[in-house]
Amino acid sequence: MSAEQGSRFTTLENEALICGRCGYCRSSCPVYRVIGWESASPRGKISMAKDIFAKGRKDGLSDEFVQRVAQCTLCGACSSICSTGIDTRTLWLELRKRIAQSGKGPKTYDDIRNTLLVNRNISTFSNDDRLEWAQDLDDPEVVEPRAGAEVGYFVGCVSSFFPQAAQISLAIAEIFGEAGVDFTTMGGEEWCCGFPLISSGFADDAREFTKHNVDKIKELGIHTLVASCASCYHVWKHESQAELAGYDLEVLHTTEYLARLVEEKGIELDELDEVVTYHDPCDLGRNSGVYDAPRKIITSIPGVRFVELAHNRSDSLCCGGGGNLQSVDPELAATIAQLRVEEIKESGATIVVSACQQCEQMLSTAIRSAGLPVRVMDISQLILEAMG
Amino acid sequence: MKAEVLDEIKRKYGDRATDTPFERSLYSRDLAPVPALLVDPLFNTMPDLVVRPANVEEVAEILRTAWAGNIPVTPRAGASTVYFDSVPVKGGVVMDLNLLRGVVGLDEERMTVTVQAGTTWSELDDYLNRRGLTVKSYPSSAPVASIGGWFCMMGYGIGSLKYGSLLSQVRAAEVVLATGEVRVVTRDTDPPLSWFAASEGTLGIVTWLELEVRRLSPMKHFLIQFTNVPEMTRVLTELKDASVTPYNLHFADPACVRAMHDLGLTPGDVQDGCILEIDYEGTDRELAQAEDIIRTMAAGNKSINMLPNEVAEMEWKERFKALRLKRGGPAVLGGEVWLPADELAGYLADINKMSLRYGIDLISYGHVVTPEHATVMTMFYTDETKTLKYIFNLSLVKKIHDIGYRHHGCPYGVGLWNTPYIDRIFSRKRLAGLRERKKTLDPRGTMNPGKVYRSPLLMNPYIFGMGMDVMAGILRAAGRGGSG
Repeated sequence: MSAEQGSRFTTLENEALICGRCGYCRSSCPVYRVIGWESASPRGKISMAKDIFAKGRKDGLSDEFVQRVAQCTLCGACSSICSTGIDTRTLWLELRKRIAQSGKGPKTYDDIRNTLLVNRNISTFSNDDRLEWAQDLDDPEVVEPRAGAEVGYFVGCVSSFFPQAAQISLAIAEIFGEAGVDFTTMGGEEWCCGFPLISSGFADDAREFTKHNVDKIKELGIHTLVASCASCYHVWKHESQAELAGYDLEVLHTTEYLARLVEEKGIELDELDEVVTYHDPCDLGRNSGVYDAPRKIITSIPGVRFVELAHNRSDSLCCGGGGNLQSVDPELAATIAQLRVEEIKESGATIVVSACQQCEQMLSTAIRSAGLPVRVMDISQLILEAMG
Repeated sequence: MKAEVLDEIKRKYGDRATDTPFERSLYSRDLAPVPALLVDPLFNTMPDLVVRPANVEEVAEILRTAWAGNIPVTPRAGASTVYFDSVPVKGGVVMDLNLLRGVVGLDEERMTVTVQAGTTWSELDDYLNRRGLTVKSYPSSAPVASIGGWFCMMGYGIGSLKYGSLLSQVRAAEVVLATGEVRVVTRDTDPPLSWFAASEGTLGIVTWLELEVRRLSPMKHFLIQFTNVPEMTRVLTELKDASVTPYNLHFADPACVRAMHDLGLTPGDVQDGCILEIDYEGTDRELAQAEDIIRTMAAGNKSINMLPNEVAEMEWKERFKALRLKRGGPAVLGGEVWLPADELAGYLADINKMSLRYGIDLISYGHVVTPEHATVMTMFYTDETKTLKYIFNLSLVKKIHDIGYRHHGCPYGVGLWNTPYIDRIFSRKRLAGLRERKKTLDPRGTMNPGKVYRSPLLMNPYIFGMGMDVMAGILRAAGRGGSG
């Protein structure tokens, strides 16, 4: 099952029975590749889920099983290769939901939930400080919420509160400014997109967040929303449809919007003498089907030699940072990132570009510890550099 | 003694060995969802220990240690069969071979690749494709099936019609015997390579193989819809015997086409009839000849509907996804039959009669894998959550195999569950020869015991046959087989 094919998901019980235990998922699963035990493979987890939920072995909901379910990046690679067409990503989310309902979920998930319910963002900062990053702009006022703007930029928690990732929101604001885009943000009324809650099994809590964000977008009269975070984009595109029903909102990832600007000559790009590769973020690529836009941008920069990584597009390897894995098992997440860094090394690239703050953070750390002379950049940062 | 030996292995292999019930339980199953009610009274499928060796030295050491303690060892890699080949039936050690991964060497002069046994066929082919090469044949479960695993099974699949069995493509293999002794075997050694092919992991553990490879070549795909099975099998025979041999010849009967259509999976939205997929690879000249053969055969034939090229190409891309039919179940039961190709029409006609007799849809599809033989999977939907009904439905699997037998076929692969059919699978002389090999190489019988050579007492052909026939009779009288 791929993003293009659509989901055939029925119920956790039925899908667990449908699983043929063929094991195709094992070879594509980054977690299984690192851990190596059958219980870490998607087929192993589904097999146990079948015993517990479809066959009523309630005592099977052990700590070991809960840990294995949490050891998943939600990258969706198992879904793409599944021989019975199971939308495994939805299955994992449903499984985490059931675990959360049983009260046996990882403590870290509860911490994430508590932080979000209190702060409305994933950091420890007040949500009123959402636009603190903009102080580095020549005119910070430009990003203050404004009704009727052509484009609403959904900044996301990471780019709002974490200094390294804030370079992305700054880059986007500068590019938009240069290109004359009439844009605004939601300021302190932007709440977390809800993805950390959904991926921790608290989808019902996440509804409050998506509903709030949709209401605010409606209030501002925004009809084009651009998100620079792949997971925020995924939530807006796929998880907020009920709240958005009847409202005309075009949801775009920055790669899509920037590709449009490049194509329409809204921005001029100078020559860059670099070998550039692109890492497909799972929530943007495999789970949302956006592959061409970032490649179009990179290949439109004069002088750039673009090289693909060995696994790319729908076959891309995860960075290890998805699905809240970093919060429950940072060592595993880092080892998965190292697998990707091996491919980056083999590609001979001098710059690895991505379009997700989490991917960029994971890859930066792994590249640093591998001592590779490779720069990790967001697509917006690459464009800004090419704009001179 | 046994506990001490297991402790020794566990201590030595640290986090690559486990005896936790949580982990071990997953090594007591393969693709077949057999009810515990049937399995537990007869077999000890729970391994005492699972260990993951990383190289041949470790494989040998574990085998030596287990041999000294008389402990059964069951090798496992993809675990993608349904016969319990990689599931222990007497506890002991399960050796997970998935760390034996990667290409050891590529020899483009000899056109061979030496590859570790735990590598999957897809991984090997990806490696070769990046170098303009490819494997000659591979299993239809290539994304999970390991190189060693397919060699230890029958080794027929996609590409076999043109390039022969896997055994014919293997030049050499490294094997660790039950005693822990490491041997490199070829066609000329004693024992020869052929002993280990289709031995289902009962004679030793293969750690690497040297395989013949070929240059990547262009392909052409054709997909034909037929109004009836006899016409499809007639064309199938004509094509397999034509001057250009297809790389792959895959067929689906009308029940299969209907099932796929119900699931929205039929290529080109075909609703009825049966389907023949013909895939060619070779030089441009060969492909042009192949196209001529297909067009000539199709010209004026009113029972044929040639589906568009893009549909044929899409079906080729889906070639590893036969299990997608399971979505209609959610459980399926069935039997895979090794069948003379010229018996295919008769077999499918009898399967159709059985379908009417038991009131179930029997779905058949398969590959022609040699000029003389096809492998046919015949299956039906069932419900594994209704245990008693599910057990009764197992009797219909025997009925499928009975039809195969009437058409000079036999089960494809033995493992544990097909041991009641060993007298159909092997001639008496052949079976005696196989048992002699086992006695020579594994006199204590510790290497994957309970598989291939003889059926357990309660599954001996007479008792098994009688029991299954009685259950099938009850199902027939009740007129309710399958999932209904």
